[in-house]
Amino acid sequence: MASNSETRGSSADYETMMSASDVELLKRAWRNEKAAPEILQYEGALVERAKEQIELVEESVEDYVENGKDPLLVSLYQMDLDRTQFLLRSYLRVRLLKIEKFMFHNLKSEEAERRLSEQERVFATKCADDLAKHFEETVLLKLPENYQSVLKQSQISEVDDMVPQPHLDTFVVCRSNNFVSLNLYEEGESPETVEMERGDLYFIRYKIVKGAIESGQIDLI
Amino acid sequence: MYGRKGYQLLKDFASGEKGQLKPFNSKLFDETIEECDQNHHLMQSLMRKMQQEDLDVQNSRNADHYGALIHHLSLMRNKRCLMAYVYNRAEIVRDLAWRVGLELLDLPSEIQEKLTSLEKEYFKNHSVTLKSYMGKVGIELNVDMVPPKDPYIKVRILDDIDEGIVLSDKTTNFARHSMHFLKRTDAEPYIARGQMEELTD
Repeated sequence: MASNSETRGSSADYETMMSASDVELLKRAWRNEKAAPEILQYEGALVERAKEQIELVEESVEDYVENGKDPLLVSLYQMDLDRTQFLLRSYLRVRLLKIEKFMFHNLKSEEAERRLSEQERVFATKCADDLAKHFEETVLLKLPENYQSVLKQSQISEVDDMVPQPHLDTFVVCRSNNFVSLNLYEEGESPETVEMERGDLYFIRYKIVKGAIESGQIDLI
Repeated sequence: MYGRKGYQLLKDFASGEKGQLKPFNSKLFDETIEECDQNHHLMQSLMRKMQQEDLDVQNSRNADHYGALIHHLSLMRNKRCLMAYVYNRAEIVRDLAWRVGLELLDLPSEIQEKLTSLEKEYFKNHSVTLKSYMGKVGIELNVDMVPPKDPYIKVRILDDIDEGIVLSDKTTNFARHSMHFLKRTDAEPYIARGQMEELTD
């Protein structure tokens, strides 16, 4: 049932619907993003394709309504369109909420910064500026001099200790797509490994499966 | 006793319902800031005393040093309490922006009373940031907060919205208590503001 958006207007009706594999990919990205405690890599190409296809389907639905096509079919297409739109919106929303939650951390850590899209980076910088300004006006300017920094507790602190960080130790439910063997503990400690067969469900700390999720071998549920 | 006011401020915040704001407790807030100032002055006077006695401020360990240390730690703790108070309220303000709407005037007046003018400023700035992101991406992110089950839903109007509401397929006169069959995306902002309610049966 996978089709290309270029085949619009041709042959079978169902082919004008969204390419099924794209929807699957979007669903997978959405599920992973919802379950992970930190922000994951932005699927730019996928989002772009999804936007285009949604527009195309919207146009064809409008055409059907004007041509008086069977209203049941039209509302089915409409429902499917709504569902896909919801997926896309929710994916972007979940990412924004994670950015809002950990704004200073995302701007400080290079790894996190790489995972944001261009517009998200602009959003994150502006958000952090807004919040820093709010802090300064409400609290910090009234405090004595050495204690006015937003990120450090006082001038004496060596590290930025007032930045909340995502908890990478939270437990998540995951299923693996291939045979995977992972180190349970940090290197140097006892090298216990857990081996996952294809299709196994595991309830495990996020830190351990982080790398495997990025490479696509494991999915979060 | 140092630190007690900061503690009370946070307890006041925590005693409200989760996700709901209480009016900004400026009295306790200002008192905590005064305590910080006090701590700072006392700390500086102790350090000056140590310098006058020709002791190395960084390294010598006598009673004055420990006194200054206590003031420093108390100041940091108060700073953390104050920032936590402001930060958590700002989090709730952001949450309001998502749930209710991006215009300040859309917030019901009971909520507007509880925000200080600075928090309203923050709300406005944050809405502007969100709107500019949504504009760049080209998709509205405020609608569709709940996964859609049906494209059309039944709603009953609670407030007098009158005319002037333009929906995507028709214009209707919304009298109070009337029921309509609307598209979900059109009705959502009104439901979030409490002007309509969804009928599920």
